Amino acid sequence: MTKFLKGAKLQFSNSFSRRALALLMIILFCCTCARKEQKYANVFYWNLYTGVTSLDPAFARSLANIWSCQQLYNGLIQLDEHLKIKPCIAKNWTISEDGLTYTFTLRNDVYFHDHELFPNGKGRKVTASDFKYSFNRIIDPATASPGAWIFNNKVVVDSPFKALNDTTFCIRLQKPFAPFLSLLTTTYCSVVPKELISHYGKDFRAHPIGTGPFFMKYYYEGEKLILHKNQQYFEFDKDTNGKLTRLPFIAAVDISFIDSKQNEFFSFMQGKLDLVNGIDQSFKDNVLNKDGTLKAAFSDKLNFEKSPFLNTEYFGFLVDSLPKGMNAKQFKMVRQAMNYALDRTKMMRYIRNSIGIPGIYGFIPPDLLQAEPKIYYPYLPGKAAQLLRDAGFPNGKGLPIIKLSTTANYLDLSIFVQHAMEDAGIPVQIENIPSSSLSEYKSKGKSLFFRGSWVADYPDAENYLSIFYSKNRPPDGPNYFHYHNIQFDQKYDSLINKKDITTDPQSYSRMQDLMMEEAPVLILYYDETVRLLAKRVHGLHANPINSVDLKYVQLN
Amino acid sequence: MDFYMARYIFKRIVSGILVILGVATIIFLLFIILPTDPASLTLGQRADISTLESINKELGLNEPKSIQFIKYINDLSPLSINGLNDENREKYHFIPILRFRNNALVLKWPYLRRSYQSKKKVSEMLMAALPNTALLAISAFFIASIIGIIFGCLTAIKKGTLLEGALMLLANVGVSVPSFFAGILISWCFGYLLSSYTGLSMFGSLYEIDPFRGKILAIQNLILPAIALGIRPLGIITQLTRSSMLEVLSQDYIRTAKAKGLSPWIIIKKHALSNALNPVLTAVSGWLASLLAGAFFIEYIFNWHGLGKMTVDALLSMDFPVVMGAVLFIAIIFVIINILADILYGVIDPRIRAGA
Repeated sequence: MTKFLKGAKLQFSNSFSRRALALLMIILFCCTCARKEQKYANVFYWNLYTGVTSLDPAFARSLANIWSCQQLYNGLIQLDEHLKIKPCIAKNWTISEDGLTYTFTLRNDVYFHDHELFPNGKGRKVTASDFKYSFNRIIDPATASPGAWIFNNKVVVDSPFKALNDTTFCIRLQKPFAPFLSLLTTTYCSVVPKELISHYGKDFRAHPIGTGPFFMKYYYEGEKLILHKNQQYFEFDKDTNGKLTRLPFIAAVDISFIDSKQNEFFSFMQGKLDLVNGIDQSFKDNVLNKDGTLKAAFSDKLNFEKSPFLNTEYFGFLVDSLPKGMNAKQFKMVRQAMNYALDRTKMMRYIRNSIGIPGIYGFIPPDLLQAEPKIYYPYLPGKAAQLLRDAGFPNGKGLPIIKLSTTANYLDLSIFVQHAMEDAGIPVQIENIPSSSLSEYKSKGKSLFFRGSWVADYPDAENYLSIFYSKNRPPDGPNYFHYHNIQFDQKYDSLINKKDITTDPQSYSRMQDLMMEEAPVLILYYDETVRLLAKRVHGLHANPINSVDLKYVQLN
Repeated sequence: MDFYMARYIFKRIVSGILVILGVATIIFLLFIILPTDPASLTLGQRADISTLESINKELGLNEPKSIQFIKYINDLSPLSINGLNDENREKYHFIPILRFRNNALVLKWPYLRRSYQSKKKVSEMLMAALPNTALLAISAFFIASIIGIIFGCLTAIKKGTLLEGALMLLANVGVSVPSFFAGILISWCFGYLLSSYTGLSMFGSLYEIDPFRGKILAIQNLILPAIALGIRPLGIITQLTRSSMLEVLSQDYIRTAKAKGLSPWIIIKKHALSNALNPVLTAVSGWLASLLAGAFFIEYIFNWHGLGKMTVDALLSMDFPVVMGAVLFIAIIFVIINILADILYGVIDPRIRAGA
């Protein structure tokens, strides 16, 4: 009986196994039949891992939105790679004597991308009234554009934008504002066609029509954005022989939205991407040496670029909310002590692989100050101890615990700071919260010590000092520190109301001296942009506002 | 249909609606408790009061919470009261039933609003994501069922051999490894390390977009996520089939079939397998719905644009209407499946509908 069953089993298995294996082979065959993705020689492959929420320039708030819109739209003026203002759709401009009226003369050869809503489906010529419409749209509360701050309280209330004729456009201000031209270089101030917006309404966000070097060919949200070369683009490149070539050089841009930095990096290493912006903390040690240079194993596979980026990373204090058992003077001394107790050079080397400049200077990134940057808080543990003694907390004795609100991606930096403070005797407790909660804490003044960063919206030092201006306290502005200094405010008022555009570096430095002495911030570092580029990419210039201008890109 | 049956179905539907209402209320409350301000999130570092106000107005956040809640439920309800103006007509596409002054009781599809972040209609987002999730879940279901049953049979037939040991090890690993870990491992191994042999990508969606040819079906992108999602059910099905098959193979009628001189393949197919599969099928059929909702991690890892990935993304950016829409949608799927199952039980078993 047992023998019989055994025999039966054997026969079953041979016959059944053959059929089962055949089925498995078919499944495996299907896997190997997979078609490989085709890569084109004249297409630039890019990934925006944070995703694009809108292709409408009125909502170009995040870097990914800005980068996409920069390829699709143009404004009156633009910045070159050295952050100097240069013409774009406006050929030239004048500012009235009183600094209140800005008049722009527009080019006569700029056309919107083709669209069926235009007569004969051909792109219409851009006129001054298009700018009038586009700018009015930004300040219209019905649009609810996050870029409304650019014009709010700066331009006159009654018809601030005027189209004097097709090629003359004029803006009137309430009072002089020195950095106003810089503001106009932001992506929010791009020109859009009225007829398209009337037709699509809110859905213009996915049907962008602009004047930029590329137009949108396909857009599958969260999956792909394909841009094609605008054959009628108005800008030309002049080579060394003086020969003019119409921009852009490449035929198309393929933008994917892989939302994990690891996957993005793997795709880049597989040759599926041409550019990666930034490098993730989790694998930076595999790619970079501690001194911030590329590891030898990668040097023949990719090009590595590092350049200053106008972004100051800091931990801020809520200066008007005193910790338990401290008066205002003691709190100020403790803040100063914390600033002296942090070895930022060591922090940058071990936590950031030397990407970024240690934050020993003021709040304004050193690249933005035309004057020689001044060192405010070098690493001086002895001085930190002295300040604590003077404040009545020798070796930190009697100090209350200071709670630091931070987010997960800054945890390693926060822990480094926590240890540095512990060494000085200052107890710091880390509270790790989602970034959405952190912004709520900051705007409602619920956190005494919080993480923050400030990216320049426009390249002017005023941008950095404005957040310490007392009238910019939330909800009116981003003064999360609740910093208030009458002298600082007076200097700020007199500075921005100047008509003269050439900024006065000395006055910025003097204001910064005042603010840094009170130490409302613990500056960590001034950021740098990191780009990993495929070997075939040329002409992609880095700049301090981290814009990505693909019109000059050439591919080998 | 008798009276008891009608009453039973009506009760099931009413309780289903109450469940959905409860889910909507809970999510609404959660978002009130959470310390977030969606308007300042959409504004970023520059937030001045006038822009904040206009965004709050646009998102309907300038009103008291109670009014916000009533408006929300009014938007969700297929029968609602709305003003008869062009803006509402455009927004809801309703059919007025009963008019009174400028308002009317209207019939409409539930309006799930627009995303805070992208301003896209949530209903459109859901409809775009649902087919992807359904396809992934169904593929995983079939991979798990087919391979699981084959493995189960092989292990039963080859009991005591090396093959059985190897397959059982695989099944046990499949059951015990969390799906997100299996996902990362499979993606890295077959999509990166071995990608030159497999031709597969670490991640990707059902369609690939070629810069010049547009949308192209890329069914190969389904393979890895479907395996990753199916590996756990595969392990369970292997074990279930194996034990059930072993039991069947020891039955007398198998011996009789053998004695009749039937070929081993016919015996397995006709006599053993069909009997062995009964308990397996009962267990498996209940899993499809949970596979639909359980694909969150897998979709996220493989960048598969389904409901799960959409929900996780929306949660990270506090995009309340999208989270609300997605959770409600999944809740509705479960409620409908449960109602159908209850009705079927009612049809089969008269005691249930009488008891109801």
